[in-house]
Amino acid sequence: MSGVTRRYVLKLGMLTAATGAAAAGVAPRVARAQPKQLVVCSWGGAYQEAQRKTMFQPFEKETGIKIVEASPTDYGKLKAMVQSGNAEWDLVDVGDLSVIAGAKDNLLEPLDYQTIDTRDVFPQVVHKFGIGTIYYSTVLAYSTKKYTKGDHPKTWAQFWDVGKFPGPRAMRNNPLDNLEFALLADDVPIDRIYPMDVERAFRSMDRIKKHINVWWTTGAQPAQLLADGEVELATSWNGRIFAIQKQGAKAGLEWNQGKLQWDSWVIPRGSKNKDGAMKFIAWATHPKPQAAIANEIPYGPVNRKAFDFVSPQAARDMPTAPDNARRQLMIDPVWWGEHRNALVERWNAWLLK
Amino acid sequence: MRRGVGRREIALLLLPALAWLGVLFVYPIGRLVYLSAFAPAFTLQHYAKLVGASVYAKILVNSFEISVTVTLLALVLGYPLAFLLATARPRAAGLMLAGIVLPLWTSVLVRTYAWMVLLGRRGLVNEALQSAGVLDSPLSLLYNRLGVTIGMVHALLPFMVLPIYSVMKGVDVDLLKAAQNLGANRWQSFLRVYLPLSFPGVAAGCLLVFVTALGFFVTPALLGGRGDMMIAMLIENQVRELLDWGFASALAVTLLAVTAGILLVVQRLLGERMWAR
Repeated sequence: MSGVTRRYVLKLGMLTAATGAAAAGVAPRVARAQPKQLVVCSWGGAYQEAQRKTMFQPFEKETGIKIVEASPTDYGKLKAMVQSGNAEWDLVDVGDLSVIAGAKDNLLEPLDYQTIDTRDVFPQVVHKFGIGTIYYSTVLAYSTKKYTKGDHPKTWAQFWDVGKFPGPRAMRNNPLDNLEFALLADDVPIDRIYPMDVERAFRSMDRIKKHINVWWTTGAQPAQLLADGEVELATSWNGRIFAIQKQGAKAGLEWNQGKLQWDSWVIPRGSKNKDGAMKFIAWATHPKPQAAIANEIPYGPVNRKAFDFVSPQAARDMPTAPDNARRQLMIDPVWWGEHRNALVERWNAWLLK
Repeated sequence: MRRGVGRREIALLLLPALAWLGVLFVYPIGRLVYLSAFAPAFTLQHYAKLVGASVYAKILVNSFEISVTVTLLALVLGYPLAFLLATARPRAAGLMLAGIVLPLWTSVLVRTYAWMVLLGRRGLVNEALQSAGVLDSPLSLLYNRLGVTIGMVHALLPFMVLPIYSVMKGVDVDLLKAAQNLGANRWQSFLRVYLPLSFPGVAAGCLLVFVTALGFFVTPALLGGRGDMMIAMLIENQVRELLDWGFASALAVTLLAVTAGILLVVQRLLGERMWAR
């Protein structure tokens, strides 16, 4: 009897010890004793695959620093990690607004610009706490089954014109990616969008509201809605349209009056391999890796020298190709950083009205 | 001498479950309440924001409206199904049970996408109705309240059927015969004997479906329209995009409090019947 009990207690003890050890993260810390490992978190999907092929693997080979991947990026998780003092990620690919928010909340390490060559990097993506990874665009996308002869709407004013361009439409369920377009549709000149006249933007949104069939919440939705014939016009991120085009879907996109935005690399405060992360950022910002990823997936390089290594064919599909970029609007993340939370509240109320 | 479990043994038996709940339930909810009212000094700013803008009340009302509708529909569909299941021969019952439980093994996301394939403008239902000449233009079955309701009823139906079924299995069918022997017709014997006896299952099923529906996120986000925002979507937005954890906590605490309040009222109204066996 007492033997059984002792054995049971022993087992229980071992189990407890094991769980305790796992919870305390003893195992990963042993592996981290050699600081040769870099934990990188990105968005997953085709984008992270392209990063793996053109950035993570070549970087590993060149430096011997082993990259451990995580996905998807989650701001909530990032905040929780930093605040609990246990940053599992050393380097994170985040949206442009998160750099501003992260800096404000003191979640990020400042970048060491002694080591990063920013000569040819577009200045708007260079921030004390983050630097651009790639550019992407929110654009007007359309069904090429409906618009076969290039006769699709080419401006937001035309997207708003349901008389001349009837048919089901989708827009994002978020003030982001909408209010600028609402102002453009109301004939505000493209270089006078910021600071935004929010009242005017919502008045313009009032006019299109009841003609929007789907308010999308995830990036995959508009592409899928177009491919399924559920809608004929949509706002979408450019990479998603390219991806379904490659699969043979009948969809196209219009660069005119698109909105340029970017992703950034940030280092969570308390990262266990800050030096490795900094090294990676310096490496990934160089023209050649920038060109390599843009050739793989049509997002725009943040280093203008990268275009020297991009085929003209591939450049046509990139948001920052000169021909595409000059017809677009550049997001102002600082303006959004200040107004976002209030605008989301107003947006939700507006949508429910 | 009475052989059984004494008080100390009961306490010991409960201890692991209590410890588990304490760590994984009581502590996090305590943190939630704390976050909603301290930033880091005591403040009611988050609750003030919640009360100050009518949009949040609207979203809360939305969530309850949708959950009540879904619960009632699931009951209407689930009760006869559970009855069929309880009275079928074992093999048939086994097959039906598998049909009901199997969808639970698929992710809600997959099931939601399946509804898009069926209910879309160019979906199976609309195409079939149009080619049969019933319709001229497609029906709007998606991206509105109807789509959310269909998707959620489908996802939650097993949670209604299973508790009712398990109670029905325990009902002695001879009681029905006895009632009929004593002069009740079939309808009366069902209403006055079977229904009250199966009521605890109905109460459990409704409770389970209603509470789960309140926290639904994926289905309303993907199948809903602009008027169908539910509170879980709002909380997700605050936690992951806007990083406003204080406000998100206030929303969660409010949802918890309102739900608990409703359950208390319902229990008061139904009294003992709710838990009676």
